Amino acid sequence: MADFWKLVQNENMKIYRRPRTWIMFGFVVLVPVLISVLVAVMDGTDSMNNWELMRLESSIVFQLITVFAVVKAADSVAGEFTWGTIKLLLIRPWSRSSILLSKYISVLLFSLLFIAVCFAVTFTVNVAIFGYDASPKGLIPETSPLAGGSPWTYMGASYLLLFVSQIVIVTFGFMFSAAFRSSGLAIGLSIFLLLSGSLISGLLSLTGKAWIKFVLFPHLQLMSYLDSGTGPLPNHPTTLGFSLAVLAVYFVLFNLVSWTVFCKRDVAG
Amino acid sequence: MSQAPIVRLQEVTKRIGSRTIIDRVSLDVQPGEVFGFLGPNGSGKTTTIRMMVGLMSLTSGDITIAGHSVKTAFRQAISRVGAIVENPEMYKFLTGYQNLVHFARMNPAITKARIDEVVELVGLQKRIHDKVKKYSLGMRQRLGVAQAILHRPSLLVLDEPTNGLDPAGIRELRDYLRLLAREEGTAVFVSSHLLSEMELMCDRVAILQQGKLIDIRSIGAQTESSSAAEEVLFEVDQPDAALGILEGQGAGRIVDGLLTITADRDLTAAVNRRLVEAGIRVYGIRKKTKSLEDQFLEVTGSDTIG
Repeated sequence: MADFWKLVQNENMKIYRRPRTWIMFGFVVLVPVLISVLVAVMDGTDSMNNWELMRLESSIVFQLITVFAVVKAADSVAGEFTWGTIKLLLIRPWSRSSILLSKYISVLLFSLLFIAVCFAVTFTVNVAIFGYDASPKGLIPETSPLAGGSPWTYMGASYLLLFVSQIVIVTFGFMFSAAFRSSGLAIGLSIFLLLSGSLISGLLSLTGKAWIKFVLFPHLQLMSYLDSGTGPLPNHPTTLGFSLAVLAVYFVLFNLVSWTVFCKRDVAG
Repeated sequence: MSQAPIVRLQEVTKRIGSRTIIDRVSLDVQPGEVFGFLGPNGSGKTTTIRMMVGLMSLTSGDITIAGHSVKTAFRQAISRVGAIVENPEMYKFLTGYQNLVHFARMNPAITKARIDEVVELVGLQKRIHDKVKKYSLGMRQRLGVAQAILHRPSLLVLDEPTNGLDPAGIRELRDYLRLLAREEGTAVFVSSHLLSEMELMCDRVAILQQGKLIDIRSIGAQTESSSAAEEVLFEVDQPDAALGILEGQGAGRIVDGLLTITADRDLTAAVNRRLVEAGIRVYGIRKKTKSLEDQFLEVTGSDTIG
Protein backbone atom coordinates (compact mmCIF):
# COMPACT_ATOMS: atom_id res chain seq x y z
CA MET A 1 0.00 0.00 0.00
CA ALA A 2 2.84 2.37 0.86
CA ASP A 3 4.37 1.38 -2.44
CA PHE A 4 1.17 2.06 -4.30
CA TRP A 5 1.05 5.53 -2.77
CA LYS A 6 4.38 6.20 -4.48
CA LEU A 7 2.67 5.74 -7.84
CA VAL A 8 0.05 8.31 -6.84
CA GLN A 9 2.89 10.58 -5.68
CA ASN A 10 4.42 10.26 -9.16
CA GLU A 11 1.17 11.22 -10.82
CA ASN A 12 0.77 14.13 -8.45
CA MET A 13 4.27 15.30 -9.30
CA LYS A 14 3.39 15.22 -12.99
CA ILE A 15 0.26 17.30 -12.29
CA TYR A 16 1.60 19.93 -9.90
CA ARG A 17 5.02 20.42 -11.50
CA ARG A 18 3.37 21.78 -14.60
CA PRO A 19 2.84 25.52 -14.76
CA ARG A 20 -0.54 25.06 -16.41
CA THR A 21 -1.89 23.51 -13.22
CA TRP A 22 -1.16 26.75 -11.40
CA ILE A 23 -2.77 28.78 -14.15
CA MET A 24 -5.89 26.69 -13.56
CA PHE A 25 -5.51 27.30 -9.86
CA GLY A 26 -5.34 31.01 -10.57
CA PHE A 27 -8.65 30.87 -12.44
CA VAL A 28 -10.38 29.05 -9.60
CA VAL A 29 -9.26 31.75 -7.19
CA LEU A 30 -9.69 34.79 -9.42
CA VAL A 31 -13.08 34.11 -10.97
CA PRO A 32 -15.05 34.24 -7.68
CA VAL A 33 -13.07 37.21 -6.41
CA LEU A 34 -13.72 39.09 -9.63
CA ILE A 35 -17.46 38.36 -9.62
CA SER A 36 -17.83 39.41 -5.99
CA VAL A 37 -15.93 42.63 -6.50
CA LEU A 38 -17.93 43.47 -9.63
CA VAL A 39 -21.24 42.89 -7.86
CA ALA A 40 -20.13 44.93 -4.86
CA VAL A 41 -18.97 47.81 -7.04
CA MET A 42 -22.02 47.86 -9.30
CA ASP A 43 -24.88 46.99 -6.92
CA GLY A 44 -23.40 47.81 -3.52
CA THR A 45 -22.91 45.37 -0.67
CA ASP A 46 -26.56 45.31 0.45
CA SER A 47 -28.03 43.87 -2.72
CA MET A 48 -27.12 40.24 -2.00
CA ASN A 49 -26.10 38.12 0.93
CA ASN A 50 -22.86 36.18 1.02
CA TRP A 51 -24.57 32.81 0.43
CA GLU A 52 -26.40 33.74 -2.74
CA LEU A 53 -23.23 34.91 -4.40
CA MET A 54 -21.34 31.88 -3.12
CA ARG A 55 -23.91 29.61 -4.74
CA LEU A 56 -23.69 31.46 -8.05
CA GLU A 57 -19.91 31.50 -8.11
CA SER A 58 -19.62 27.89 -7.02
CA SER A 59 -21.82 26.69 -9.86
CA ILE A 60 -19.66 28.59 -12.35
CA VAL A 61 -16.35 27.49 -10.83
CA PHE A 62 -17.55 23.88 -10.68
CA GLN A 63 -17.90 23.86 -14.45
CA LEU A 64 -14.41 25.28 -14.70
CA ILE A 65 -13.04 22.62 -12.36
CA THR A 66 -14.78 19.89 -14.34
CA VAL A 67 -13.09 21.13 -17.51
CA PHE A 68 -9.71 21.33 -15.75
CA ALA A 69 -10.06 17.86 -14.24
CA VAL A 70 -10.96 16.46 -17.66
CA VAL A 71 -7.87 18.12 -19.14
CA LYS A 72 -5.81 16.44 -16.41
CA ALA A 73 -7.50 13.11 -17.08
CA ALA A 74 -6.77 13.51 -20.77
CA ASP A 75 -3.11 14.37 -20.15
CA SER A 76 -2.71 11.66 -17.59
CA VAL A 77 -3.02 8.71 -19.94
CA ALA A 78 -3.31 9.96 -23.53
CA GLY A 79 -0.53 12.45 -22.77
CA GLU A 80 1.84 9.65 -21.80
CA PHE A 81 1.19 8.04 -25.17
CA THR A 82 1.78 11.33 -26.97
CA TRP A 83 4.98 12.01 -25.06
CA GLY A 84 6.16 8.41 -25.56
CA THR A 85 6.76 8.10 -21.83
CA ILE A 86 4.15 5.34 -21.53
CA LYS A 87 6.87 2.94 -22.70
CA LEU A 88 9.02 3.83 -19.71
CA LEU A 89 6.08 3.77 -17.34
CA LEU A 90 4.79 0.32 -18.20
CA ILE A 91 8.14 -1.50 -18.04
CA ARG A 92 8.29 -1.30 -14.25
CA PRO A 93 7.32 -4.00 -11.79
CA TRP A 94 3.74 -2.78 -11.59
CA SER A 95 0.62 -4.13 -13.19
CA ARG A 96 -1.05 -1.90 -15.72
CA SER A 97 -4.19 -1.75 -13.60
CA SER A 98 -2.21 -0.35 -10.63
CA ILE A 99 -0.71 2.31 -12.85
CA LEU A 100 -4.09 3.25 -14.29
CA LEU A 101 -5.63 3.32 -10.80
CA SER A 102 -2.90 5.65 -9.55
CA LYS A 103 -3.66 7.98 -12.44
CA TYR A 104 -7.38 7.88 -11.80
CA ILE A 105 -6.90 8.59 -8.10
CA SER A 106 -4.57 11.50 -8.80
CA VAL A 107 -7.17 13.07 -11.10
CA LEU A 108 -9.88 12.69 -8.44
CA LEU A 109 -7.55 14.20 -5.85
CA PHE A 110 -6.93 17.10 -8.19
CA SER A 111 -10.65 17.66 -8.51
CA LEU A 112 -11.16 17.38 -4.73
CA LEU A 113 -8.38 19.86 -4.02
CA PHE A 114 -9.80 22.40 -6.45
CA ILE A 115 -13.29 21.96 -5.01
CA ALA A 116 -11.91 22.61 -1.54
CA VAL A 117 -10.19 25.74 -2.84
CA CYS A 118 -13.41 26.80 -4.55
CA PHE A 119 -15.33 26.40 -1.29
CA ALA A 120 -12.75 28.28 0.74
CA VAL A 121 -12.40 31.15 -1.72
CA THR A 122 -16.10 31.66 -2.45
CA PHE A 123 -16.93 31.56 1.26
CA THR A 124 -14.13 33.83 2.46
CA VAL A 125 -14.40 36.41 -0.27
CA ASN A 126 -18.16 36.84 0.11
CA VAL A 127 -18.10 36.96 3.87
CA ALA A 128 -15.34 39.55 3.63
CA ILE A 129 -17.27 41.74 1.20
CA PHE A 130 -20.92 41.15 2.11
CA GLY A 131 -20.65 40.07 5.73
CA TYR A 132 -21.90 36.81 7.24
CA ASP A 133 -25.64 36.24 7.08
CA ALA A 134 -26.72 33.51 9.53
CA SER A 135 -30.24 33.04 8.15
CA PRO A 136 -30.13 34.10 4.53
CA LYS A 137 -33.26 34.71 2.47
CA GLY A 138 -33.25 33.84 -1.21
CA LEU A 139 -30.59 31.15 -0.97
CA ILE A 140 -32.71 28.04 -0.61
CA PRO A 141 -35.73 27.89 -2.98
CA GLU A 142 -39.18 27.30 -1.44
CA THR A 143 -39.52 24.08 -3.41
CA SER A 144 -36.36 22.59 -1.97
CA PRO A 145 -36.63 19.70 0.46
CA LEU A 146 -34.12 21.64 2.57
CA ALA A 147 -36.24 24.83 2.58
CA GLY A 148 -35.92 26.70 5.85
CA GLY A 149 -32.80 24.78 6.82
CA SER A 150 -29.27 25.95 7.50
CA PRO A 151 -27.30 27.48 4.62
CA TRP A 152 -24.39 25.18 5.54
CA THR A 153 -26.49 22.08 4.93
CA TYR A 154 -27.71 23.45 1.63
CA MET A 155 -24.24 24.42 0.40
CA GLY A 156 -22.80 21.12 1.59
CA ALA A 157 -25.50 19.19 -0.26
CA SER A 158 -24.97 21.19 -3.47
CA TYR A 159 -21.22 20.58 -3.37
CA LEU A 160 -21.81 16.88 -2.87
CA LEU A 161 -24.26 16.62 -5.78
CA LEU A 162 -22.07 18.70 -8.07
CA PHE A 163 -19.08 16.57 -7.15
CA VAL A 164 -20.95 13.36 -8.00
CA SER A 165 -21.79 14.63 -11.49
CA GLN A 166 -18.25 15.84 -11.90
CA ILE A 167 -16.85 12.39 -11.07
CA VAL A 168 -19.02 10.84 -13.76
CA ILE A 169 -17.94 13.39 -16.38
CA VAL A 170 -14.27 13.03 -15.43
CA THR A 171 -14.57 9.24 -15.58
CA PHE A 172 -16.09 9.62 -19.03
CA GLY A 173 -13.12 11.74 -20.13
CA PHE A 174 -10.69 9.34 -18.49
CA MET A 175 -12.19 6.52 -20.51
CA PHE A 176 -11.46 8.30 -23.78
CA SER A 177 -8.00 9.10 -22.54
CA ALA A 178 -7.17 5.55 -21.41
CA ALA A 179 -9.03 3.47 -23.95
CA PHE A 180 -8.74 5.59 -27.05
CA ARG A 181 -5.54 7.47 -26.22
CA SER A 182 -7.03 10.66 -27.58
CA SER A 183 -6.82 13.68 -25.34
CA GLY A 184 -8.67 15.86 -27.83
CA LEU A 185 -11.61 13.51 -27.98
CA ALA A 186 -11.58 13.13 -24.19
CA ILE A 187 -11.70 16.86 -23.58
CA GLY A 188 -14.12 17.67 -26.38
CA LEU A 189 -16.72 15.04 -25.61
CA SER A 190 -16.57 15.64 -21.86
CA ILE A 191 -17.21 19.34 -22.32
CA PHE A 192 -20.08 18.45 -24.61
CA LEU A 193 -21.48 16.21 -21.88
CA LEU A 194 -21.04 18.98 -19.34
CA LEU A 195 -22.64 21.77 -21.35
CA SER A 196 -25.34 20.06 -23.33
CA GLY A 197 -26.74 17.96 -20.50
CA SER A 198 -29.64 20.24 -19.63
CA LEU A 199 -30.43 20.95 -23.27
CA ILE A 200 -30.59 17.31 -24.19
CA SER A 201 -32.58 16.32 -21.13
CA GLY A 202 -35.12 19.03 -22.00
CA LEU A 203 -35.34 17.62 -25.50
CA LEU A 204 -35.62 14.06 -24.29
CA SER A 205 -38.39 14.78 -21.82
CA LEU A 206 -40.64 15.81 -24.73
CA THR A 207 -40.93 12.22 -25.88
CA GLY A 208 -42.91 9.71 -23.88
CA LYS A 209 -40.59 6.71 -24.22
CA ALA A 210 -39.74 4.96 -20.96
CA TRP A 211 -36.06 4.36 -21.87
CA ILE A 212 -35.43 8.10 -21.59
CA LYS A 213 -35.05 7.53 -17.88
CA PHE A 214 -31.92 5.50 -18.47
CA VAL A 215 -30.05 7.99 -20.63
CA LEU A 216 -27.03 9.50 -18.94
CA PHE A 217 -27.51 13.21 -19.71
CA PRO A 218 -30.50 14.18 -17.51
CA HIS A 219 -29.06 12.51 -14.42
CA LEU A 220 -26.05 14.79 -14.44
CA GLN A 221 -28.44 17.61 -13.41
CA LEU A 222 -28.63 16.41 -9.83
CA MET A 223 -29.11 19.96 -8.51
CA SER A 224 -32.70 19.82 -9.69
CA TYR A 225 -33.49 17.48 -6.76
CA LEU A 226 -32.11 20.01 -4.35
CA ASP A 227 -33.68 23.13 -5.85
CA SER A 228 -37.03 22.04 -7.25
CA GLY A 229 -37.44 18.83 -5.29
CA THR A 230 -38.19 16.90 -8.48
CA GLY A 231 -36.08 14.99 -10.99
CA PRO A 232 -34.46 16.56 -14.04
CA LEU A 233 -37.07 15.08 -16.44
CA PRO A 234 -40.39 16.94 -15.99
CA ASN A 235 -42.50 14.26 -17.66
CA HIS A 236 -40.71 11.34 -16.09
CA PRO A 237 -40.65 11.55 -12.32
CA THR A 238 -37.52 10.03 -10.85
CA THR A 239 -36.01 9.96 -7.39
CA LEU A 240 -32.53 10.99 -6.34
CA GLY A 241 -31.77 7.36 -5.54
CA PHE A 242 -32.77 6.35 -9.06
CA SER A 243 -30.56 9.01 -10.62
CA LEU A 244 -27.61 7.96 -8.45
CA ALA A 245 -28.16 4.33 -9.45
CA VAL A 246 -28.16 5.24 -13.15
CA LEU A 247 -24.99 7.27 -12.68
CA ALA A 248 -23.38 4.39 -10.81
CA VAL A 249 -24.09 2.03 -13.69
CA TYR A 250 -22.52 4.43 -16.20
CA PHE A 251 -19.61 4.99 -13.81
CA VAL A 252 -18.90 1.26 -13.66
CA LEU A 253 -19.33 0.93 -17.40
CA PHE A 254 -16.86 3.72 -18.21
CA ASN A 255 -14.29 2.30 -15.82
CA LEU A 256 -14.73 -1.19 -17.20
CA VAL A 257 -13.97 0.07 -20.69
CA SER A 258 -10.94 2.07 -19.49
CA TRP A 259 -9.44 -0.80 -17.55
CA THR A 260 -10.14 -3.58 -20.02
CA VAL A 261 -8.75 -1.74 -23.00
CA PHE A 262 -5.77 -0.20 -21.21
CA CYS A 263 -4.65 -3.46 -19.62
CA LYS A 264 -4.97 -5.52 -22.78
CA ARG A 265 -3.75 -3.23 -25.49
CA ASP A 266 -0.40 -3.52 -27.23
CA VAL A 267 1.67 -0.40 -26.86
CA ALA A 268 3.06 0.32 -30.31
CA GLY A 269 4.24 3.26 -32.31
CA MET B 1 27.78 -21.47 -22.14
CA SER B 2 26.93 -23.55 -19.10
CA GLN B 3 25.34 -20.60 -17.30
CA ALA B 4 21.60 -20.26 -17.25
CA PRO B 5 20.59 -17.74 -19.89
CA ILE B 6 19.27 -14.43 -18.62
CA VAL B 7 16.84 -14.16 -21.52
CA ARG B 8 15.29 -17.01 -23.38
CA LEU B 9 12.98 -16.58 -26.34
CA GLN B 10 11.13 -19.75 -27.22
CA GLU B 11 9.28 -19.97 -30.49
CA VAL B 12 8.12 -16.40 -30.07
CA THR B 13 5.43 -15.52 -32.56
CA LYS B 14 3.43 -12.33 -33.05
CA ARG B 15 0.54 -12.13 -35.43
CA ILE B 16 -1.50 -9.01 -36.01
CA GLY B 17 -4.55 -9.91 -38.03
CA SER B 18 -3.36 -12.32 -40.68
CA ARG B 19 0.12 -10.83 -40.82
CA THR B 20 2.87 -12.68 -39.01
CA ILE B 21 5.21 -10.03 -37.68
CA ILE B 22 7.49 -12.35 -35.74
CA ASP B 23 7.73 -15.95 -36.75
CA ARG B 24 8.94 -18.55 -34.24
CA VAL B 25 12.03 -16.73 -33.01
CA SER B 26 14.13 -18.60 -30.45
CA LEU B 27 17.34 -17.39 -28.88
CA ASP B 28 19.23 -17.23 -25.59
CA VAL B 29 21.26 -14.39 -24.15
CA GLN B 30 23.91 -15.15 -21.52
CA PRO B 31 24.71 -13.00 -18.50
CA GLY B 32 27.45 -10.48 -19.23
CA GLU B 33 26.99 -10.76 -22.95
CA VAL B 34 26.42 -7.89 -25.36
CA PHE B 35 23.94 -9.32 -27.78
CA GLY B 36 23.14 -7.55 -31.03
CA PHE B 37 19.81 -7.78 -32.72
CA LEU B 38 20.25 -6.89 -36.31
CA GLY B 39 17.84 -6.47 -39.13
CA PRO B 40 16.65 -4.09 -41.81
CA ASN B 41 13.89 -1.64 -40.98
CA GLY B 42 10.56 -3.37 -40.59
CA SER B 43 12.07 -6.74 -39.82
CA GLY B 44 10.47 -6.92 -36.37
CA LYS B 45 13.28 -5.87 -34.04
CA THR B 46 11.23 -3.34 -32.13
CA THR B 47 8.24 -5.67 -31.95
CA THR B 48 10.41 -8.37 -30.41
CA ILE B 49 11.78 -5.92 -27.87
CA ARG B 50 8.29 -4.68 -27.03
CA MET B 51 7.27 -8.25 -26.35
CA MET B 52 10.32 -8.78 -24.13
CA VAL B 53 9.41 -5.84 -21.92
CA GLY B 54 5.68 -6.53 -21.84
CA LEU B 55 4.51 -3.66 -23.99
CA MET B 56 3.07 -6.15 -26.46
CA SER B 57 1.49 -9.52 -25.93
CA LEU B 58 2.81 -12.71 -27.52
CA THR B 59 0.61 -14.60 -29.93
CA SER B 60 2.41 -17.82 -29.03
CA GLY B 61 5.69 -18.98 -27.57
CA ASP B 62 7.22 -17.60 -24.41
CA ILE B 63 9.91 -15.22 -23.21
CA THR B 64 11.59 -15.81 -19.86
CA ILE B 65 13.83 -13.34 -18.08
CA ALA B 66 15.95 -14.86 -15.31
CA GLY B 67 13.57 -17.81 -15.42
CA HIS B 68 10.36 -15.77 -15.07
CA SER B 69 7.91 -15.76 -17.92
CA VAL B 70 6.81 -12.32 -19.04
CA LYS B 71 3.38 -13.82 -19.63
CA THR B 72 2.73 -15.33 -16.22
CA ALA B 73 5.18 -13.60 -13.86
CA PHE B 74 5.55 -10.19 -15.47
CA ARG B 75 6.46 -8.29 -12.32
CA GLN B 76 9.27 -10.66 -11.36
CA ALA B 77 10.56 -10.78 -14.93
CA ILE B 78 10.50 -7.04 -15.54
CA SER B 79 12.08 -6.15 -12.20
CA ARG B 80 15.35 -7.51 -13.63
CA VAL B 81 15.15 -5.41 -16.77
CA GLY B 82 16.14 -1.87 -17.61
CA ALA B 83 15.17 -0.61 -21.03
CA ILE B 84 15.00 2.20 -23.50
CA VAL B 85 12.46 1.43 -26.18
CA GLU B 86 13.13 3.61 -29.20
CA ASN B 87 13.92 7.19 -28.23
CA PRO B 88 14.57 8.04 -24.61
CA GLU B 89 11.35 9.94 -24.04
CA MET B 90 11.26 11.69 -20.69
CA TYR B 91 8.89 14.11 -19.02
CA LYS B 92 10.11 17.34 -20.59
CA PHE B 93 8.43 19.57 -18.03
CA LEU B 94 10.32 17.88 -15.19
CA THR B 95 14.01 18.18 -14.45
CA GLY B 96 16.34 15.29 -15.16
CA TYR B 97 16.52 14.61 -11.46
CA GLN B 98 12.75 14.60 -11.02
CA ASN B 99 12.52 12.15 -13.89
CA LEU B 100 14.92 9.83 -12.12
CA VAL B 101 13.05 10.19 -8.83
CA HIS B 102 9.88 9.33 -10.69
CA PHE B 103 11.27 6.05 -12.01
CA ALA B 104 13.14 5.29 -8.80
CA ARG B 105 9.85 5.37 -6.89
CA MET B 106 8.52 2.61 -9.10
CA ASN B 107 11.18 0.14 -7.98
CA PRO B 108 11.66 -1.00 -4.42
CA ALA B 109 14.65 0.27 -2.45
CA ILE B 110 16.37 2.74 -4.72
CA THR B 111 18.10 5.18 -2.42
CA LYS B 112 18.91 8.80 -3.03
CA ALA B 113 22.58 7.82 -2.96
CA ARG B 114 21.97 5.41 -5.83
CA ILE B 115 20.34 8.14 -7.90
CA ASP B 116 23.34 10.42 -7.32
CA GLU B 117 25.70 7.59 -8.19
CA VAL B 118 23.93 6.93 -11.49
CA VAL B 119 23.84 10.64 -12.33
CA GLU B 120 27.59 10.74 -11.88
CA LEU B 121 28.04 7.55 -13.86
CA VAL B 122 26.37 9.02 -16.93
CA GLY B 123 28.09 12.36 -16.39
CA LEU B 124 25.04 14.56 -15.96
CA GLN B 125 25.88 16.12 -12.57
CA LYS B 126 26.02 19.67 -13.89
CA ARG B 127 22.73 19.66 -15.73
CA ILE B 128 20.62 17.20 -13.75
CA HIS B 129 18.49 19.92 -12.16
CA ASP B 130 17.65 21.52 -15.51
CA LYS B 131 14.35 20.82 -17.21
CA VAL B 132 14.61 18.00 -19.72
CA LYS B 133 13.23 20.20 -22.48
CA LYS B 134 16.54 22.07 -22.37
CA TYR B 135 18.57 18.90 -22.91
CA SER B 136 20.31 17.97 -26.13
CA LEU B 137 19.57 14.59 -27.65
CA GLY B 138 22.84 13.24 -26.29
CA MET B 139 21.94 14.34 -22.78
CA ARG B 140 18.51 12.78 -23.09
CA GLN B 141 20.17 9.58 -24.17
CA ARG B 142 22.33 9.67 -21.05
CA LEU B 143 19.31 10.28 -18.91
CA GLY B 144 17.65 7.37 -20.67
CA VAL B 145 20.55 5.13 -19.76
CA ALA B 146 20.43 6.46 -16.19
CA GLN B 147 16.76 5.54 -15.69
CA ALA B 148 17.42 2.13 -17.21
CA ILE B 149 20.25 1.20 -14.85
CA LEU B 150 18.87 2.76 -11.63
CA HIS B 151 17.77 -0.57 -10.21
CA ARG B 152 20.91 -2.47 -11.28
CA PRO B 153 19.13 -4.67 -13.82
CA SER B 154 20.58 -7.99 -14.94
CA LEU B 155 19.42 -7.22 -18.44
CA LEU B 156 19.61 -3.95 -20.28
CA VAL B 157 17.45 -3.70 -23.39
CA LEU B 158 18.25 -0.91 -25.81
CA ASP B 159 16.34 -0.30 -29.00
CA GLU B 160 18.38 1.59 -31.59
CA PRO B 161 20.40 3.36 -28.88
CA THR B 162 22.73 5.18 -31.24
CA ASN B 163 19.93 6.86 -33.21
CA GLY B 164 20.65 10.54 -33.41
CA LEU B 165 23.87 10.41 -31.42
CA ASP B 166 27.02 12.04 -32.71
CA PRO B 167 30.17 9.91 -33.15
CA ALA B 168 31.52 10.88 -29.74
CA GLY B 169 28.22 10.00 -28.11
CA ILE B 170 28.10 6.66 -29.90
CA ARG B 171 31.60 5.84 -28.78
CA GLU B 172 30.86 6.81 -25.22
CA LEU B 173 27.74 4.67 -25.14
CA ARG B 174 29.61 1.75 -26.63
CA ASP B 175 32.40 1.94 -24.07
CA TYR B 176 29.87 2.28 -21.32
CA LEU B 177 27.87 -0.77 -22.37
CA ARG B 178 31.04 -2.79 -22.64
CA LEU B 179 32.01 -1.72 -19.14
CA LEU B 180 28.61 -2.60 -17.75
CA ALA B 181 28.74 -6.05 -19.28
CA ARG B 182 32.27 -6.68 -18.06
CA GLU B 183 32.15 -5.15 -14.59
CA GLU B 184 28.61 -5.82 -13.46
CA GLY B 185 27.84 -8.89 -15.54
CA THR B 186 24.86 -7.12 -17.05
CA ALA B 187 23.59 -8.68 -20.23
CA VAL B 188 22.93 -6.09 -22.90
CA PHE B 189 20.40 -6.71 -25.63
CA VAL B 190 20.78 -4.07 -28.27
CA SER B 191 18.97 -3.69 -31.56
CA SER B 192 20.23 -1.73 -34.50
CA HIS B 193 20.40 -1.54 -38.23
CA LEU B 194 23.84 0.05 -38.05
CA LEU B 195 26.01 -2.89 -38.87
CA SER B 196 29.45 -1.48 -38.28
CA GLU B 197 28.27 -0.22 -34.93
CA MET B 198 27.10 -3.67 -33.89
CA GLU B 199 30.37 -5.15 -35.02
CA LEU B 200 32.22 -2.95 -32.55
CA MET B 201 29.80 -3.37 -29.70
CA CYS B 202 28.56 -6.93 -29.61
CA ASP B 203 29.80 -10.37 -28.69
CA ARG B 204 27.13 -12.06 -30.74
CA VAL B 205 24.58 -10.90 -33.23
CA ALA B 206 21.29 -12.36 -34.34
CA ILE B 207 20.04 -11.41 -37.76
CA LEU B 208 16.34 -10.97 -38.22
CA GLN B 209 14.63 -10.62 -41.54
CA GLN B 210 10.92 -10.31 -42.15
CA GLY B 211 10.20 -11.63 -38.69
CA LYS B 212 12.37 -14.72 -39.06
CA LEU B 213 15.63 -15.33 -37.28
CA ILE B 214 18.02 -16.27 -40.05
CA ASP B 215 21.36 -16.43 -38.29
CA ILE B 216 23.14 -16.07 -34.97
CA ARG B 217 26.90 -15.67 -35.02
CA SER B 218 29.72 -14.62 -32.75
CA ILE B 219 31.64 -11.54 -33.79
CA GLY B 220 34.92 -12.84 -32.33
CA ALA B 221 34.90 -16.00 -34.42
CA GLN B 222 35.11 -14.08 -37.65
CA THR B 223 38.45 -12.49 -36.90
CA GLU B 224 40.08 -15.48 -35.25
CA SER B 225 40.81 -17.41 -38.45
CA SER B 226 43.91 -15.35 -39.25
CA SER B 227 46.11 -18.29 -40.26
CA ALA B 228 43.75 -19.51 -42.96
CA ALA B 229 44.12 -18.37 -46.54
CA GLU B 230 42.25 -15.18 -47.27
CA GLU B 231 41.88 -12.67 -50.00
CA VAL B 232 44.84 -10.31 -49.85
CA LEU B 233 44.92 -7.00 -51.65
CA PHE B 234 48.17 -5.47 -52.93
CA GLU B 235 48.29 -1.84 -53.87
CA VAL B 236 51.00 -1.58 -56.52
CA ASP B 237 52.08 0.91 -59.21
CA GLN B 238 51.70 -1.48 -62.18
CA PRO B 239 48.98 -4.02 -61.44
CA ASP B 240 49.10 -5.66 -64.86
CA ALA B 241 52.86 -6.13 -64.80
CA ALA B 242 52.60 -7.46 -61.27
CA LEU B 243 50.00 -9.99 -62.36
CA GLY B 244 52.40 -11.14 -65.09
CA ILE B 245 55.21 -11.64 -62.60
CA LEU B 246 53.00 -13.73 -60.39
CA GLU B 247 51.96 -15.98 -63.29
CA GLY B 248 52.14 -19.50 -61.98
CA GLN B 249 51.77 -18.29 -58.42
CA GLY B 250 48.08 -19.33 -58.45
CA ALA B 251 44.97 -17.39 -59.21
CA GLY B 252 45.64 -13.68 -59.02
CA ARG B 253 43.29 -11.07 -60.44
CA ILE B 254 42.83 -7.37 -60.51
CA VAL B 255 39.89 -5.87 -58.63
CA ASP B 256 39.39 -2.10 -58.66
CA GLY B 257 43.03 -1.59 -59.61
CA LEU B 258 44.23 -3.74 -56.75
CA LEU B 259 46.09 -6.98 -57.22
CA THR B 260 44.04 -9.60 -55.43
CA ILE B 261 45.31 -13.06 -54.55
CA THR B 262 44.25 -15.78 -52.19
CA ALA B 263 47.06 -16.37 -49.76
CA ASP B 264 47.93 -17.27 -46.19
CA ARG B 265 50.51 -15.34 -44.15
CA ASP B 266 53.63 -17.00 -45.59
CA LEU B 267 52.50 -16.76 -49.17
CA THR B 268 51.65 -13.09 -48.67
CA ALA B 269 55.24 -12.41 -47.59
CA ALA B 270 56.65 -14.42 -50.49
CA VAL B 271 54.52 -12.62 -53.03
CA ASN B 272 55.59 -9.30 -51.61
CA ARG B 273 59.28 -10.21 -51.97
CA ARG B 274 58.88 -11.31 -55.56
CA LEU B 275 57.08 -8.13 -56.48
CA VAL B 276 59.72 -5.96 -54.86
CA GLU B 277 62.56 -7.90 -56.46
CA ALA B 278 60.89 -7.46 -59.85
CA GLY B 279 60.93 -3.70 -59.34
CA ILE B 280 57.22 -3.27 -58.65
CA ARG B 281 56.43 -0.61 -56.07
CA VAL B 282 54.19 -1.99 -53.34
CA TYR B 283 52.31 0.78 -51.56
CA GLY B 284 50.16 -1.32 -49.31
CA ILE B 285 49.06 -4.82 -48.42
CA ARG B 286 45.85 -5.61 -46.61
CA LYS B 287 43.55 -8.49 -45.96
CA LYS B 288 40.10 -8.28 -47.34
CA THR B 289 38.05 -9.10 -44.24
CA LYS B 290 34.41 -9.51 -44.78
CA SER B 291 32.66 -6.86 -42.78
CA LEU B 292 29.49 -7.67 -40.95
CA GLU B 293 27.80 -5.56 -43.55
CA ASP B 294 28.93 -7.84 -46.37
CA GLN B 295 27.85 -10.85 -44.42
CA PHE B 296 24.60 -9.23 -43.50
CA LEU B 297 23.75 -8.39 -47.06
CA GLU B 298 24.89 -11.84 -48.09
CA VAL B 299 22.54 -13.45 -45.61
CA THR B 300 19.56 -11.18 -45.97
CA GLY B 301 19.89 -10.89 -49.72
CA SER B 302 17.97 -7.72 -50.45
CA ASP B 303 16.31 -5.18 -48.25
CA THR B 304 12.75 -6.04 -49.10
CA ILE B 305 10.37 -4.71 -46.51
CA GLY B 306 8.03 -7.53 -45.68
